[in-house]
Amino acid sequence: MYILKNAWISIKRNKGRNILIGIIIFIIAMASTITLAIKNTASDLIDSYMNAYNKEVTIGFNREDMMKDFNMGDVGGRDEIKEKFNNIATYSISDIESFADSKYVFSYYYTYSVGMNGSNIEKAEIEDDRGFGGRGEKFNNMENQSDFTLMGYSSLDAMSEFINGTYTMEDISDNAWNIAFDGNYVFINSELASYNNLKLNDKITLTSTDNQTFEYQIIGIFKQNEDDNQGMSMFSGSANTIITNSDNISKIVNDNVKGNLSPTFIINSYSDVSRLQDEFYEKGLDKNYILETNEEMATAAVSSVKNVNSFSTTFLVLTLIIGGVVLFVINMINIRERKYEIGVLRTIGVSKFKLTMQFVFELIIVALVALLIGAGIGGVTSKSISNSLLASEIENSNNQNEEINKNFGGHGPGENKLTMKGRGVPTVQAYSKINAVVDIVVIVELLGIGLLLVIVSSIASLISIQRFSPLTILKERS
Amino acid sequence: MEKKKDILLKVIKASYRYSDAEEGEYALKDVSFDFELGKIYAIKGRSGSGKTTLLSLISGLERATDGEIIFDGKNLKDMNLDKYRSQEIGIVFQSYNLLPYMTASENIILSMDINGDKSKNKEEKAIKLMEKVGLKESYASRKVLRLSGGEQQRVAIARSLSYNPKMIIADEPTGNLDKQTEKEIIEIFKKLAHEENKCVIIVTHSDNVSKLVDKVYDLDKVK
Repeated sequence: MYILKNAWISIKRNKGRNILIGIIIFIIAMASTITLAIKNTASDLIDSYMNAYNKEVTIGFNREDMMKDFNMGDVGGRDEIKEKFNNIATYSISDIESFADSKYVFSYYYTYSVGMNGSNIEKAEIEDDRGFGGRGEKFNNMENQSDFTLMGYSSLDAMSEFINGTYTMEDISDNAWNIAFDGNYVFINSELASYNNLKLNDKITLTSTDNQTFEYQIIGIFKQNEDDNQGMSMFSGSANTIITNSDNISKIVNDNVKGNLSPTFIINSYSDVSRLQDEFYEKGLDKNYILETNEEMATAAVSSVKNVNSFSTTFLVLTLIIGGVVLFVINMINIRERKYEIGVLRTIGVSKFKLTMQFVFELIIVALVALLIGAGIGGVTSKSISNSLLASEIENSNNQNEEINKNFGGHGPGENKLTMKGRGVPTVQAYSKINAVVDIVVIVELLGIGLLLVIVSSIASLISIQRFSPLTILKERS
Repeated sequence: MEKKKDILLKVIKASYRYSDAEEGEYALKDVSFDFELGKIYAIKGRSGSGKTTLLSLISGLERATDGEIIFDGKNLKDMNLDKYRSQEIGIVFQSYNLLPYMTASENIILSMDINGDKSKNKEEKAIKLMEKVGLKESYASRKVLRLSGGEQQRVAIARSLSYNPKMIIADEPTGNLDKQTEKEIIEIFKKLAHEENKCVIIVTHSDNVSKLVDKVYDLDKVK
């Protein structure tokens, strides 16, 4: 107990030395608090974003595997590939439902499209004399033989073009999102609307390739954003795309009319993909298909936050190394200055262990005070620093839901999600500010850092005290 | 009939050589002395005669390379020397060796703490010890650096008495003091030996001190 008392007296009576050590630990603590707070906040932000970001799995051809045995230069080889592609077993909506019935799948949606011809509307197309007019429309039309692509979505989640901003709703009926998935309703491109002089609530008639006729009411007019427009066409790529719900496509598709089914499964974790693929194969998915994820895209979306995170880690490590070295050196000098004191205490019977403990206690007391002050000031400062460092991410997260809602014509998932009975788009957590707070995790980490620094810098006193002979010290003094 | 000697410390053919010393070179060689309770001794010798070496051996700051040192029937080789110094003997140095950032009484109380004294009135005990060596109560709260050499040496003696050891070892305790103070300090040691039955060993080169003690061991004659 006297060791603690002695340590306390020594701290009180040697203020200059201890204030210097305290200032260094304070700076280290403050820098560490800020970097830890930023690091933890950035990690939370990444986790939050990754959680909110749909972990999507789609079914694609295993091209690499299919092509490996074929020689593309050989005409016979090309025919063989074609035949192989044509023989791959397709999957139906009931297959998709069966695949989705898995512990790895959180939810699913799909798009279902089919080629249609117009009865009372004309395809948006202008042939020019240069020989490449209309190329865009033809290439973007799913069925080259048909005028239009009727694209059916199973839910709002499936409407990725609206979520990512490729399409924006220009005009929409008030109750459009309440009826869009339950009847013969469609959204058409604004260019197609202009071309055919169509407006909201007008009815269009389309004919399937087996000559069945279907009538639809227009409940929304969307436009394709120019940035996403491809090719040299007068019209955007989606000018002849008509959007409806997937049930309407099911009514058209039969043995003679083929639809293009494209499912997306939302999974809980990317690490489940390989197990999920095995499960799909067991449930009958052709082995020429493989599962593909959007992990790369999800990771890219948080790359800037990850940069901030790794910068924080580097800064923290550097702070600790530099701080540790400075403290070690100061302690070495300190011990040399206190050689006489060590000699006296050893002479009057203080053991090496107790003496070492006194020096360590002195450092711990100073370090604790400095850590608390550093953590306090660092905690206050870290909020504004991390908010400014992550400002763009804050703005992005803030605007994301608003943007999506705007793309859906202001009546999007934000307002109608609950009434859509599970057909909504998951919202991204919005941050009005980053809560870079000094929480219990930061405090524990900081205490760990403090302890580490005390141990590292105490090594100097530990070694010195073991080496010093009291008699030599006192002789030098005499 | 001769009174039976009450020997507290026996130095038996003690030798000491530094680890880097040349073959046959000793700082101290084959020294044998007896020290009794109730007597004051002086160890004399020229510079390099091994006075300080002998002091460091009997105070447990170093271990003898050869020979034995027996304290109160126990061989120092078998003892924890930290405990020996903090509980069995008191040491006084020429340069006082007080902790400069502490007050006079704090230096004495620290020694009590090291000894494991659990009493609550340590401050009171410290003041009594200071009065015993001729220091007023008002000196208790003074930082030692604000005391004169003689006063600091008295504090050092009071510190060495703080746990009532049987033996006091002093290394040139009057080396930095004037003649009058030297006399007063030696008187304190004599009192401790004769009135309190302690064994006091003073390492000195002063003839004045040698004249005032009960027995003188001359290291020059041993060599």
